[in-house]
Amino acid sequence: MTDDQQATDLERWTAAAAWSRRPALDPLETMTWRSERHPSRSGTSCTVIMLDREPDWERFREAHEWGTSLVRRLRQRVLDPAVPTTSPVWVDDHHFALDYHLRRRPVGGSGSMDDVLEVARQVALRPFDRSRPLWEGMLLTGLDGGGAAYVLKIHHALADSAGTVQLLSLLQSATRRHTPDKPVLPADEEQPATDTVQLARDGLRDNLVAAPRLAAQGLRAAASASLRPQTVLAETLRYAASVRRLAASLPAPPSPLLADRDGRSWRFLALSCPLADLQAAGRIGGGSLHDAFVAAFAGGLQRYHAAHGVSLEEISIRLRVSLDRAEDPMSGVRFAGAMIAAPAGIEDPADRIAAVRGEVLSLHTERALDAVRAVAPGIASLPSGVGAAVLGVGVAADASASTVQGPPRATYMAGAKVLGMYPFGSLPGVAMAATLLAHADLACIGVNVDELAVRDPEVLRTSLQDGLDEVAALGR
Amino acid sequence: MSGLSPAVQAAVEAIEAGPSGPQVGAFFDLDGTLVAGYTAATFYGDRLRKGEVSAGEFVRTVITAVDGEVLGGDPTRVADVAFAALRGVSEETFADLGERLFLQKIAGTIRAEARALVRAHQRMGHTVAVASAATSYQIAPVARDLGIEHLVCTRLEVEDGVLTGRPVGAMLWGRHKASGTRAFAKEHDVSLEDSYAYGNGYEDVAFLSSVGHPVALNPHRGLRVAAQRLGWTVLDLRDPLTPSLAALGRTVAALGAMNTGAGAGLAVGLLTRDGRRGRNTAISLGSTLALTLTGVELAVLNADHLWSHRPAVFVVNHQSALDVLVMGSLLKEDFTVVAKKEARFDPRAMLGSVLIAPAFVDRSDSAQARAALDALVERIRGGTSLLIFPEGTRSVTPVLGPFRKGAFHLAVQCGVPIVPVVLRNTGELMWRRSKVVHPGVVDVCVLEPETDWTADNMNDKVAALHSRFAETLANWPEEDAG
Repeated sequence: MTDDQQATDLERWTAAAAWSRRPALDPLETMTWRSERHPSRSGTSCTVIMLDREPDWERFREAHEWGTSLVRRLRQRVLDPAVPTTSPVWVDDHHFALDYHLRRRPVGGSGSMDDVLEVARQVALRPFDRSRPLWEGMLLTGLDGGGAAYVLKIHHALADSAGTVQLLSLLQSATRRHTPDKPVLPADEEQPATDTVQLARDGLRDNLVAAPRLAAQGLRAAASASLRPQTVLAETLRYAASVRRLAASLPAPPSPLLADRDGRSWRFLALSCPLADLQAAGRIGGGSLHDAFVAAFAGGLQRYHAAHGVSLEEISIRLRVSLDRAEDPMSGVRFAGAMIAAPAGIEDPADRIAAVRGEVLSLHTERALDAVRAVAPGIASLPSGVGAAVLGVGVAADASASTVQGPPRATYMAGAKVLGMYPFGSLPGVAMAATLLAHADLACIGVNVDELAVRDPEVLRTSLQDGLDEVAALGR
Repeated sequence: MSGLSPAVQAAVEAIEAGPSGPQVGAFFDLDGTLVAGYTAATFYGDRLRKGEVSAGEFVRTVITAVDGEVLGGDPTRVADVAFAALRGVSEETFADLGERLFLQKIAGTIRAEARALVRAHQRMGHTVAVASAATSYQIAPVARDLGIEHLVCTRLEVEDGVLTGRPVGAMLWGRHKASGTRAFAKEHDVSLEDSYAYGNGYEDVAFLSSVGHPVALNPHRGLRVAAQRLGWTVLDLRDPLTPSLAALGRTVAALGAMNTGAGAGLAVGLLTRDGRRGRNTAISLGSTLALTLTGVELAVLNADHLWSHRPAVFVVNHQSALDVLVMGSLLKEDFTVVAKKEARFDPRAMLGSVLIAPAFVDRSDSAQARAALDALVERIRGGTSLLIFPEGTRSVTPVLGPFRKGAFHLAVQCGVPIVPVVLRNTGELMWRRSKVVHPGVVDVCVLEPETDWTADNMNDKVAALHSRFAETLANWPEEDAG
């Protein structure tokens, strides 16, 4: 191991220790937390990490012991106030037992990737114990070829898929060898109230204290609005129009083939292709890696529909759009979900990428792009049933696609080399959710499929892989 | 007012610094980009005025327009309503309507700086196209005026010369305009990465993102936000002037001033018993006062040429009624014009008739015409210069019309030189069909006077002079060149 590598590991671990130290859930997390309905509107994401060998179990376990003490959030649970007067907070779980969260078992079956995905799906479909820290890891041993797989389930209130990957990247090492003298967490900090009634009471008190100020703010806003009613009306109309375009109608006709779905029975598919090819294809089409991925995904869906005798011109796909200047979802901080009509019917892959890019960039003209963020504080304070109902309003795309940046170079977990990381999101109304993770030189794509909608996942897998290969070939 | 704003100048220079050749495309949106406002609204307004819109269609149009533009519905459906109303109209009639509305309204809404951008691309040999959701009937006259050959636009279905009320394929809006542009590029071997696109609407993002050099031109709010987020060029061009109350007031005051000036001049003439002196004072005073009051200033290059060769025939390009005032205040004294006989009784011309004693020519009576022109020749030989607009009529746009030969024949006959005067933007300050003058700076460039005109070399020399006019308009000489 070189000093350089050791330095980068230390830097990353320091960053991991600093990762997400907020004591309270933000409005978006609160909303996710309170209106969760497992599994169809679950806040669970699952990452399958393929390893080249079986890591030494003791070392693996110790790494988790250390990692969870470094990233305090992994040993904390969510404390919701008795009545929702305030956001839930993170509190240390004094009953934290690593062996509850981290387990090990042989994969079974023939030890194939499919067997791994099958176990991962079972893990993912089991709801969390919401009174404990919101993660579960399972090391699967006995893969053919001597490898192993690590299935990590994590709740969105703790981290979304991008956050999970970031956290994993921070914790993984750049070397196979064990690193002694790893950094440890500084002394314990002040804890917020640990009693649900106390928390509710504190929240109520804060609200009462803030009430006069909020009322004054409201009055001021109302007064200034009444001075320029036309501007306010016009602004409101424009915003409402944007909300309607974004949420009230599908950008493309719904696929008849994917219409039956309830998000309850999942099936995981894993695909991959060389990352550089996909990136090059994006450039050829005048777009980004994400544009190339969505174009490949749409092309795959077109093939799947064609195999069932359905011609597919365009399909509604939900994706993440950066709310910052950056146009690439991998290089921004704030995101919003929005739907596009993905041009599945365009045969030429370069042209399809350009069309996807045009659709994605067009979303930047919508003033209501951040609407979910804007209404989150309101929804979060609603009773959970109402909140879930509000979130269910509006139409759902047929599929979703997102891209996250993984570690740019090879990484190791307790001496085992990471061969690939496949993320699987939940299915909030969509028939399938595809997530691309860029890891070293590989584009790892995890697809969570609603088995009710997709009766022959094998055909889908072939179709999606063909779509991916076609776009990758463009960049070769 | 004169010339280009620094931002547009910089954009033109960037185009000129980039690659040249037909593999570079330049795609211009029409409505709100090349022209200010919506050409479709002009077409619709025309049908409304003529009572061709039924109550039912009107209500449908308003509802779909409000739904699409305000309430977040499908903004293209209003076009479907409009297209459907065209069912059964002959294509020729509709094309003629396009030509007529161009002359009456649309020509005056072309942005001067958009024209400069188009010209810059044309000078670089780029493949220039109008890419628009509008129909070819709206676009074709504008494209022709700008010298743009290619249209990427919505086509209407025609059966046996009659419109069916349906578009051919998709309306070229939003993503369809983007794919239309990409298809055009493929077909014409245009490299999109090197190409430019100009658009103003929120629906133009996909279109703009298909090229390497997207420009949000006078963008609507949504596009402006997107362009800033995506780091695209935003360019704000000035709009053609629309009559304001202030400009109207100034124009009325200017007419008064012209009369006051003329009256004062004539009084001088009466007092000094020198008619010519009186007329000269009147012209100079009247036109200068009028320009001052309307807020029009002159930026003159090579002003000395105005005086070095008198008498002379002054040939001037013509876009506006303002041209006469401008030339009056430049030439100041001892000149006249040729007018058709009918103008003798035009109340606006009567004052001028007193002042500059035009040669009235009766086009229907060749004997009278010859006699009037003979008299004119005598006057020119006697020292009076002639001001003539060789295009014969005011152009609706700054595009130079062909020159008629009359002025040059007269010059040869009288043995006097030709002094060419190029006016750049009088049409912008007072459009051909406008009755109101806007304040601003008129650019004037007096070219080198030409003396050696003969009947033999006339054709060549007229052609050469025409290109010098066009060249001067395209590349306005620098201030210090004069």
